[in-house]
Amino acid sequence: MGSEPIERRVSYVGDRLKGSRCPFCGKEYFRVRKYCGNCGRISLGKMEDIDYFYEKGVLETCTVVKEPTNRFIRLGSYIYGIVSFHNGKVRVPGRLTDIILRNDEPINLEDFEGREVVPRFRRRYSVERSDIIPTISLAFTFADEYYPHQEYEIIRPSKEYEAPGIVGYGVYVSRFRIKEGGIERSVPFIDEDAITAAVESGKLSLIHSGVDHRLVGKIYAGSESNPYAVNPIASKVAQVLKLGEEEKVEGVQGVDAVDTEFACKAATSMFKDAMALVCYPKNPMKYVMVIGADNAQAAPRGEPGGELDFFVGFGGAAFIFGKEDVIAEAEGWYSCTSDTPDFWRRDLEPYPQHGGRFTGEPAYFKHIIKAGRKLMERMNLKPSDIDYFVCHQPNPAFPARAAAILGFKPEQYAPGLYTSKFGNTYSGSSPIGLAAILDQAEPHKRIMIVSYGSGAGSDAYLFVTTSQIKDKRSRQKFTVRYQAENRFLQYVDYATYRKFKEGL
Amino acid sequence: MREKPAIIGIGRTKFGEHYELDPEDLIDEAGLMALDSAGIERKDLDACYISDYLLQVTNKIGLEEGFISQLLERNIPIERMRSFSSALLNACNAIEAGRYDVVLVGGMEKMTDRWSKIRDNLMLLEDHWAYYAGGTPETNHELLLREYMKSYGIRGESQEKLMMTLAQISVKNHHNAVKNEYAHFQREIDVKRVLAARAEEKRVLGLYDFAPISDGATALILASPKKANEYADSPVYVLATTLATDYISYASRPYRAGFIASKISMENALKIAGITLDDVKILEAYDQSTVFEMISLEDLGFIERGKSWMELHKNFEDFKGFYYLDGKEVYVNTDGGLKADGNPLGATGGAQIFEVVKQLRGEAGQRQIKPDGDLLFGCVQEIEGFGTKVYVHILGREKCGK
Ligand SMILES: [Zn+2]
Repeated sequence: MGSEPIERRVSYVGDRLKGSRCPFCGKEYFRVRKYCGNCGRISLGKMEDIDYFYEKGVLETCTVVKEPTNRFIRLGSYIYGIVSFHNGKVRVPGRLTDIILRNDEPINLEDFEGREVVPRFRRRYSVERSDIIPTISLAFTFADEYYPHQEYEIIRPSKEYEAPGIVGYGVYVSRFRIKEGGIERSVPFIDEDAITAAVESGKLSLIHSGVDHRLVGKIYAGSESNPYAVNPIASKVAQVLKLGEEEKVEGVQGVDAVDTEFACKAATSMFKDAMALVCYPKNPMKYVMVIGADNAQAAPRGEPGGELDFFVGFGGAAFIFGKEDVIAEAEGWYSCTSDTPDFWRRDLEPYPQHGGRFTGEPAYFKHIIKAGRKLMERMNLKPSDIDYFVCHQPNPAFPARAAAILGFKPEQYAPGLYTSKFGNTYSGSSPIGLAAILDQAEPHKRIMIVSYGSGAGSDAYLFVTTSQIKDKRSRQKFTVRYQAENRFLQYVDYATYRKFKEGL
Repeated sequence: MREKPAIIGIGRTKFGEHYELDPEDLIDEAGLMALDSAGIERKDLDACYISDYLLQVTNKIGLEEGFISQLLERNIPIERMRSFSSALLNACNAIEAGRYDVVLVGGMEKMTDRWSKIRDNLMLLEDHWAYYAGGTPETNHELLLREYMKSYGIRGESQEKLMMTLAQISVKNHHNAVKNEYAHFQREIDVKRVLAARAEEKRVLGLYDFAPISDGATALILASPKKANEYADSPVYVLATTLATDYISYASRPYRAGFIASKISMENALKIAGITLDDVKILEAYDQSTVFEMISLEDLGFIERGKSWMELHKNFEDFKGFYYLDGKEVYVNTDGGLKADGNPLGATGGAQIFEVVKQLRGEAGQRQIKPDGDLLFGCVQEIEGFGTKVYVHILGREKCGK
């Protein structure tokens, strides 16, 4: 059995890499301390909180681990070493992640040493299936490879808008891909899962928006692949990203956090709830974060549900909603729902089943087309009034067909199509498409997004970009396109893909 | 000056895998041998200090003192420490304080019973953040080596020489162990084999660079000087026993190309013993890895910082059984060291002391060294954790140094 109090304390410090700095001599400590060893009594109670979560470090010295201890065996071989921060003011042990070491290639440690690294939030090691899943940020990747280091700078908002909308967003897709039948799909590294993807995308949305994390009043995490049946992803996100005011005495965050589930529309469903909360007449929240993240699971090919194995992807998207410094104002929305069980996973079952032929016309197309048409009708808009269209992307064919039925042309929907790059990222699918459009849209462009969740239902939204969309663009290097066309992508074979998806 | 306690009897088991034996069987064997060699009875004991690192984990024994009480059928004070050196230090303190006259110091470990999990358990001796980050019992040794090479600009051809020197340390220790009937590995290896293991494992250090996982027990009888004269003809005095500590987190230490605790402990030990480094002709260094033996010679002051690899490399060009350092002979790990004698953690320090006592008394048989001049003093270095605690003991045939 896992030891919950120890786990909680370790994750409290280690997930965020919390430490202390002496205000008198500047000495830094990894993990929180009440006093400075140099300065003694005068520093007691005056130590400043710091953490290294958004910092970059340097991998000073390293070695290769070929024979890990038991709990790390599934990681195979990896690089382990000492990482320093702030010019050597503090040093921590660290493991490099997102690297597949091939046994037949010689390793020159000097190729790794001296390079800048970014802390990454990952699973710590393997545990029993009934245990708490331990996480940590003592996992690092090179800053000059797939995942760049980006500063998180809090920016004071300059403008309040009439309507609520998107203030910032972040998309996280892993470095690994499997390429089959002309499509690429994102594959998590073995220490990743829906929880780590949710935290990553949330972190990236804070970086992009410049929103003060303390002003986020609620976080929704939508997923259908939470590794827990009971225990939210949202609480992890809230604590790691320090959402809401931190109450240090009790070690709690002043934020509401909840997970949502409705297959692939678990996140989009909450967009309107998020916007409602920032507009609540009494005591509105400044910001609300909505994340859709999935490590989409599929049974092995040839088994029931194995058809999904050709399309499942991995990734997450986070959106921050508010009324200040909005980059895309919400114009309207419409949702529809019916009891259509075209895709499901019973409790305790590892993989979902789906209804084969039944998933197309009566499920996917019916709901998306209804929601899209109805919203246009309500807003008195024609497809030509809309600059961009994006919908749920379970495979490359469906979204193109749905768009065509609704009257959209390829130039309207192509910018948001990423399923042939990432696969079906489930709750992250249409949100990642929306993010890809926001990455490139000029101000004053109208975007329609229609999600689809099996079970079944669709959420349609209309957003109009503002002039501030361009101002914030420079703050996010890790764009959807950058992740899709990155030169550091690594392609894995089918066996590795299955193993990585299974996780630690 | 307080009078120094003396070792009047010593015993040990063979190190290796003792499949049939429980930890208490092992300590029984070593303890009886120590009592016998001291020529005393169980009833003469005033107290016991015993040591083990992991019996609670490996053998689910939580109150070792009770086992010893039962074996001895005595109700005397018994305390359990982690390392043998820790037990010895505490026993020395008690005797010097005048509390006891005759004390049994014993150490045991049974690691092979937990073969599949022992490497995880060994991480208990390191910073838990290192474990969480994926560290193994070997990684810090390799990082220490990297830090050392970078600190002293050792690369290219020099690096190759250094790696060769480390291999030769392993070969030397295996060679020494051939004459040690108690050793875990009583067999020669050659440099090719050490290098092949590294190449095969594609690692900086390979199988033959590390001490093994062993079972075993050691014991000694420590007596006040008054009693020592009564029982023994040739007692070996513990002239100094010192301990220095360092941060549990290796990454956080300011100096990472060696162990500062070794340096401090050695300096204090020499001062207390009243001898100089030149008087130390035999050293039992804690060679948990070949890197440890090389760097410990610097930490303990025998070789200037950053020069050890070069000095030893020269020595191995024509090795005569001892290191010729700074114009004098130093015999290091004549029993095979941890590498070949074995490393049953809680008993290891006892084996190191066993060797020095035997050598000082001229009872080392085939292994007996014959340095220039009298062999009067010997030195033992034992490390707990990764340089976290370093003990140094100076043993001598005379009551005090010069
Ligand atoms: Zn200070």
